[in-house]
Amino acid sequence: MAMSANPDRPEESRSQEIQPEESRYEEEERLACGRLLSDVWDAWDAGRTADDPHLTACPHCSAASAELTGLGDAVRRTCAEEPGVPEATAAAVTARVMDLVRLELRPGRPLPLGEPEEDHWIVEAAAARLLRAAVDALPGVRAGSCRIAPLDPADPTGPVHVRVEVVASLDRSLPDLADAVRARIAEVTDRDIGIRLGAADVLVVDILDDEEEDEEDEDGDAYGRHGTGGAA
Amino acid sequence: MPGNGNQMTERAPEGVRSDEALLVVRAGEGDEEAFEVLVRRHSPAMLQLAMRFLGDRADAEDAVQDAFVSAWRKLPEFRRDASFHTWLHRIVTNRCLNRLRSRRPAADLDSVPEQAAPEHQASPARAVESRAAADALAAAMAGLSPEQRVCWVLREMQGLSYESIADTVGISLQAVRGRVFRARRYLTEAMSAWR
Repeated sequence: MAMSANPDRPEESRSQEIQPEESRYEEEERLACGRLLSDVWDAWDAGRTADDPHLTACPHCSAASAELTGLGDAVRRTCAEEPGVPEATAAAVTARVMDLVRLELRPGRPLPLGEPEEDHWIVEAAAARLLRAAVDALPGVRAGSCRIAPLDPADPTGPVHVRVEVVASLDRSLPDLADAVRARIAEVTDRDIGIRLGAADVLVVDILDDEEEDEEDEDGDAYGRHGTGGAA
Repeated sequence: MPGNGNQMTERAPEGVRSDEALLVVRAGEGDEEAFEVLVRRHSPAMLQLAMRFLGDRADAEDAVQDAFVSAWRKLPEFRRDASFHTWLHRIVTNRCLNRLRSRRPAADLDSVPEQAAPEHQASPARAVESRAAADALAAAMAGLSPEQRVCWVLREMQGLSYESIADTVGISLQAVRGRVFRARRYLTEAMSAWR
């Protein structure tokens, strides 16, 4: 296939962001009938070709519109015939991405395990993951953000402050649910992880849609704050 | 031709969106398992997008891989009210634009994609005709400048509005219109030579 060189293609100055000619395209390309090619194509683009009798009657304008229709057909065919991304390719890319991500984890701050004199630590991201999983195991609630920090910033070996955001269903009252989440956090921090809990905040940031009963109640923005402080 | 392969304007159902929002927050706080779910979920669409930009499978895979690693690094600053899909789309687009710019000009005409033929076809004659049109278009696309190609693909293959393209690429609306116009002018000419 013979291919004419693209006159717009900058040969050496590819990194130049500003190409002045690109903002002057309306000034060029006037068809033999006097219309601007860009106007004819804009009308075609907006589906307004039929609104202007000239565009359908004029041989130059209809030829210009037909060119774009032809290009559109080729695009549609190309999209329809695209082989699609094989599952194995997507899986391989995911695996490579995760190999790289694991080389640059963001573990967060270290948190003290057990008693202050013991000098054992757990990183925030690991503790947060355990807490989120514990919250997710409760019915009708899922955890989002989970931040854990020393309750007293001046005492990094002291008890911690947990702040967890949840999305909850409306199966039970939100205060009850917040209490259940706080109780679960207290249990897991103390018994399973071994960090001393100083305070736990539970923030309901969204309402979980019930997938079975697909009722479109517009409560998605409900933002309720329940229970500040109050370690169990 | 708005509406071709219009994946960008599809809205996820409510449940999927809130699930995605949770995963994004978790990933932003360093939960790599949540990030892995996001990568698995979005990689097919991002690979297809990169393939359309770059016309080369290996290149597309590298670009998408780079984009996801970059997303992992930038996630802590991700604004929660933004759409993760749109944000990712922007990162992939910019990675691909940089790759197109760094290609050597001489390599462009050789980088016509080698697409495997689909396995089953209703009509062989029609398939040959479609294939030929698709190949001609792919060859013609290789002649576009990187900026033209990116804007044109977003417009005609992804079905984005001019405003969304300006936002994605980070250029003015007027520049987007100019690039799409020039791409169309070039491609219609190249395709008429083929016909």
